[in-house]
Formats: sequence, C-alpha cells, structure tokens
Amino acid sequence: MKTANYRPLAHVLIRRIVLLATACALLLSVVQGVLTYRQVQQRFEATLQDIVSSNLPMLSVGIWDIETEAVRRQVETIVAKPEIGYARLNVATGQVFEAGDAALLRAQPLRRFEIPPPNNRGEPLGTLLIAVQPALLYQALTQALLAVFIGYLLLTLLICSLVAYVLRREVERPLRGMADFASRLAPSSLTAPLQLSRPARPHHDEIDLVAHGFATLQAAISRHIDTLDQQVEERTRQLDAALSDIRELSIRDGLTGCYNRALLSERLPSELERAQRYRRPLAVVFCDADHFKPVNDRFGHLAGDEVLRAIAQRISSQLRQDIDWVVRFGGEEFVIVLPETDLAAALVTAERLRAAISTSVILADGRTVQITASLGVAAFQSGEDVESLLNRADTQLYLAKQGGRNRVMG
Amino acid sequence: MRRMLALLLCCFSLPAMALSVTFINPGKHDEVFWLTATRAMQAAADDLGIRLQVLYAEREHPRVLALAQQIIAQPAAQRPDYVVFSNDYGTAPELLRLFEAAGICSFMAFSGRDDQPGQPAIGLPRMNFRHWLGSLEPRAEDAGYLTARALIERGRRAGLPRINGKLPLLAIGGDRSTPSSLRRSEGLRRAVSEAGDVVLLQEVHAGWSQQRAQEQGDWLFRRYPQARLLWAGNDLMAFGAMDAWRRRGGTPGKDAFFSGINTSAQAMAALRDDSLSALAGGHFIAGAWSLVVLYDFHHGHDFADEGLELVRPMFTLFDDRSAARFMQHYGKLDFSRVDFRRYSKQHNPRLRRYNFDFRQLL
Repeated sequence: MKTANYRPLAHVLIRRIVLLATACALLLSVVQGVLTYRQVQQRFEATLQDIVSSNLPMLSVGIWDIETEAVRRQVETIVAKPEIGYARLNVATGQVFEAGDAALLRAQPLRRFEIPPPNNRGEPLGTLLIAVQPALLYQALTQALLAVFIGYLLLTLLICSLVAYVLRREVERPLRGMADFASRLAPSSLTAPLQLSRPARPHHDEIDLVAHGFATLQAAISRHIDTLDQQVEERTRQLDAALSDIRELSIRDGLTGCYNRALLSERLPSELERAQRYRRPLAVVFCDADHFKPVNDRFGHLAGDEVLRAIAQRISSQLRQDIDWVVRFGGEEFVIVLPETDLAAALVTAERLRAAISTSVILADGRTVQITASLGVAAFQSGEDVESLLNRADTQLYLAKQGGRNRVMG
Repeated sequence: MRRMLALLLCCFSLPAMALSVTFINPGKHDEVFWLTATRAMQAAADDLGIRLQVLYAEREHPRVLALAQQIIAQPAAQRPDYVVFSNDYGTAPELLRLFEAAGICSFMAFSGRDDQPGQPAIGLPRMNFRHWLGSLEPRAEDAGYLTARALIERGRRAGLPRINGKLPLLAIGGDRSTPSSLRRSEGLRRAVSEAGDVVLLQEVHAGWSQQRAQEQGDWLFRRYPQARLLWAGNDLMAFGAMDAWRRRGGTPGKDAFFSGINTSAQAMAALRDDSLSALAGGHFIAGAWSLVVLYDFHHGHDFADEGLELVRPMFTLFDDRSAARFMQHYGKLDFSRVDFRRYSKQHNPRLRRYNFDFRQLL
C-alpha cells in the first residue's frame, strides 16, 4: 500500500499549521510593529515632556547662574536618556553645549525648546535642540517582533508536536493496524475480529466508527459467504438427484421400469463371478410374451405398452425383493436373474411367473387382453460365461415356443 | 564653672613641655592665601614657642576628616595640645565629634560656627562639645563692603554709562555655602544699597576658581553688555573676570573696573598697575591671631571675657602705598618682623582687649 505518493496526515496538518502560524505571526507582527511604533513615539513624547518639566528648569538655573559644569551635566543627562540621541544647547550669549551623536542633527527632525529665565521674565536664555534616538525605535521594534516570532515559533512547535503525537497515537497507529489487518484478511480468518491496541476511553471517535464499520463489513461478507455455501449445497443436491435420475434412466427400461440390456451386460458378469467364486447357484430365466404382435395390431401400440408394463409388474411381484432382478431384453422379451437359485428352484419360480403372466390383463379403457408367456430356464454352470448362460436359457425358450408356448422349459 | 576649671586644668596638664598645635589647613599647600596664612602662623608660633604642625587637606573636604582621624590615631603623648581648623564646607560637626571623643581641645579659625538648616546645631563652644574652646573669624562682610565701596567710587569717577541713572554692577562670589563667602556678598549688597546709584545685575559663584570666573565673566559680559563694574569674592576670580574682559578686547582699569580680595603678590601688582581697582585683604592673619589666643588661654588668660566666638575686623582696604608697604614687608611671606608676643595678654598683662586689625602690621 506504501506508494511514492504516500504522505502522512500529520505532515499535511503540520504544514497547514506552520503556514497558518506564519500568517498569524506576520499579521501580529504588523499589528505589534504599529503598536510598538506608537508606543515608542509616546515614549519619545513623554521623555520630551519630562525634559521640559525637569531638565529645562535646571538648565535655566544653570545658565542663569553660569554654572557651566551643571549645564554640561544637564545636557549629558538629557542625552543619557535612551530616547534621546542628540542634544544641543545654544545659549543666547553664544555658548554652545552639545552631547550625543551630532550626525543626528541633520538626519532627524529636531525638537526645539526655548529656555526661559528662572523667574520667567525677560528674554529666553537659550534654545535646546533635541533629536530623538532612532536606534531606540529599531531596537524596540526588533525586540517586539522577535518576541512575536519566538512566541509563535514555540507555539507552532508545541502544536505540531502535539498534533504529531495525537495523530500518531490516535489516528496513524490505529489506521496502520487496520490497514495491516485488512491486508492480512483471508477467507479462513474472515471472522477474526479487528484488534486495535488503544487505551480505554469514555467516548467513541472516528477510529471506533471505522473499526465498527470493519466489523459490520466482515459480518456482511461472512453472511454472504454462508449463503453461497448453502446455495452450492442445494445445487449439488439437485445435480446429484439429476445424475441419479440419469443413471436410473441409463439402466432402466423407460416403458416397463425394468433394467435394460446395458445393465444386464454390466451386472450379470459380476453375478456370474460371485457365483463362481463362492460356488453359489445362479439361474437365468428367458421370458417372452406369446403372440404379442397380434396384440399390438389388434389393440394398438399403446395397449401393447400397457400389456408390457403389466407383464413386467407381474414378473417383479413374483420375485424376491432386492435379490432377484428383471431386465427387458428387447421387445416383449425379459431376462430374469435369480441369484442363489438352483435349476429346480428356478423352474418353480419360472412356473410361478408363467402363471402370473397368464392371467388376463384389464386395460385402462376397460378392455381385457388374454396373454401368455414362454419361459426358458438355465442354471449357471461353473466356468460358464454370460453369453453361454444366456444362450442356453434362450435355447430353452425356443424349446418352450416349439413345445406349444405358455410353458416352461429347462 | 567647676567644669570649666577642670577643662582648663586638663589643658594645662603638660606645662613643662612646649605647647603643641596642629592646624588642619583646608587649602592647597601651594595656594597663596593658605600659604600666607601658614607662614604668618609659623612666625607667631616661633615668637610664642609653640610647636606647630600644619596638615593640608588640599581643598578636598573628606580629607579634612581623614586628617582628623590621623591626629586622633596618634599615641596620646604625640597628640597636639590644640587643633586649629577652619569650618569650611560644614565639616565642623564631624570634626568636633572626633576631637571630643579623643579629648583633644579644638579651636576654629577663619570660618566659625555655621549652623546649617536641617542639621543638628552644634551649639555654643564648651557646651555640647566641651573640648571646643571657641573660634576666631575675620569679619568677612568688611571685605565685601570695603571693596564694593571702592569699586563703586572708581566707577563714578570714570563716569561710566548708566542704566536708568544707575551704575550696573556684576558680582562673582565664591560659593553659596561658606559663611565667609556669604558675608562678603552681604558686604557687597550693603555697599550697593548704601550707594543708591548702583544696581547689582547678577551675582554668580565661581567656586573661588580663576578659570570658572573667566568663563562666567565671559557669559556675564555677553549677557549684560552695558556692565563695566565687576566685584569678585577673591583675587583669583577677579583675575578670571579680567581675563574674560581682555579677551573681549577690553582693558581692565580703563574701560571696565574690577575688585578683589586677598593679599597675593599678583593682586598687589594688579592694584598697583591699576588693572585691579579695589583690593582688600589681611585676614590670613586670623591663623596667627588664633595661636596668640590659644597661647594666652594655655597660660590662663581665657578669651571668654571677650566672647567665645570672636568675629573681628581684620580686613584692610589697600591703596597704592599700603600695597607697596605690604610687598616690601611681607612680599616674601616672611612675617618674622612681627613680634606676636606684643599682642599676647600673657606677655602684656595690661592688654584687656585683643586688636586683630591687619593694618597695625603694615
């Protein structure tokens, strides 16, 4: 699942947060910059006011009393204020005192203060020129902006770490677990529940929803597979039934329900083999309806079929269930196989069959058909094959036909 | 009274040995006024048989206290019998405390008691501080007054321009705290008010410094272009103002007039070449007179009957002749021609009241 395009959610989130924080920091920097600028300007004004209220009177007294050292100190005191970059005192009598960076005299707009005499009467004693310290503004701006940026940097780092941690713990790890689980999922383990090692919590979240969805999906697939199995089983049963029907059809005669010749040639050899191996008796009876063609001609083929079915039914009714079996050999000819039966017993059975057949048959339309059959019996002789046995029985049938029909020969 | 007797006895305890006095000189060792004062004191000490030690504070106030502690730290036998000091810059209370604790008798010369507002008063001599015997000060106001009056007279004679009928006058004082400085200014003001046709435009303070006086003079002449009279609290400041005037292209004594105080050779010369128009001095002798007073006290002639805090006229206004005489007699700071014993009550039992005027020494 890991592809070249893979990018963790945390990266996306962190990138967004960093972008947002940068934007916020820039915005706040602008605001802070404006505020700082105003603040510094106010500070400048306050300092100038301070100079007017405290330094000017001192200067006034100092100039008046010609205390040049005091005047010099005052000017230096003024410049010592961080807000002031340069001060120049032009005394009315021509003397000049200056302190600070004289270059500011040209670069900066100068503030000018007249120095009144101590008693406030008369001509001003001089003029005080003051240039503010521009470095202070830059310094204050730098500090303020640095504070903003460092603050945001720390905040962003903190938020990103938190996001990364929470995402890893709450999202990435469970999701990876789910992805692994899903990739390992096989039909055999379909019902195995998704196990996420997450600490217990009072509330559900999206991960729980996805996990629940997994469980639901698994259950649905599982149910679907179960239904498929049932359907396959049903179809198989139906197929088996159909196959069994087909098989039944392949070994039975469609009209009479007796076995067909195919079955005889398949099954009789194994009967002979068993009789041979265990030295058990086995007899075969050839039975052929007498004068059946005239019945067909006189009553129609459907009636003929009806009669054939009656004959088969009468034969079956006289045989031992599950031991003896009947084959429609062709036309109106039947072969009855009597395992565990010697010739004498077979003759008795044959006689019973002849008797059963020779009763009149009442057709569906109420007409009555009188029918008889001739039967040839042959008992298995050791080492004899199927063909020989059948030939001998057929020969006895022929003899019975020759002998006047409706009789048993063997 | 008993207490005082005890005190006197304490001070007489070493009659066999020579009387010893230490003078804490507040000035610099090469400062003309204080050097002159010291020389005069030494002459008096020689006449009276006093062992005199002079310690210079070099005009640094904290050093005065350090010197006092140095005196106290000496073994009792080596300590002086008396300490003479000047109450400059309000150092007296601390000095008195130190000497009182050490039991050393002290006497103030030149500058006496000056109770500052906001500080505990030191009281009168021999009260709070029993070892503080008293003080002797020149009447400083005289100096200011005499020089101012002479300066104004010179201005009138020169027919200087007037403002509203009055002669404009400038003043450069010493400082704002030393009593002698203040009194000199008071004398100036008294002279101005007595004159009636003079207006004191402004008084500034140069801290006794020639350089600062020059600077302030420059400012003042620019500030008051009409002013042609300048009174100074001492000679150096007068010289500073004169320098400033010269730098402006003027000639002191011709187009502007200056007055000073002190008896330096330079001042005398300036007076004689007329660049300095008025000069008063002679109060350096206060130190020598103090030794006379202490000598008499030591020998049982207490000055208490003349007052414990003596403020006496000492200043002399010099003219050409007296200046010439001063230079002739004392130009080399040699005061040996004066016999200070003549002014001692011990040596002149009939002397009832001290005369400290300097004029008698000329």
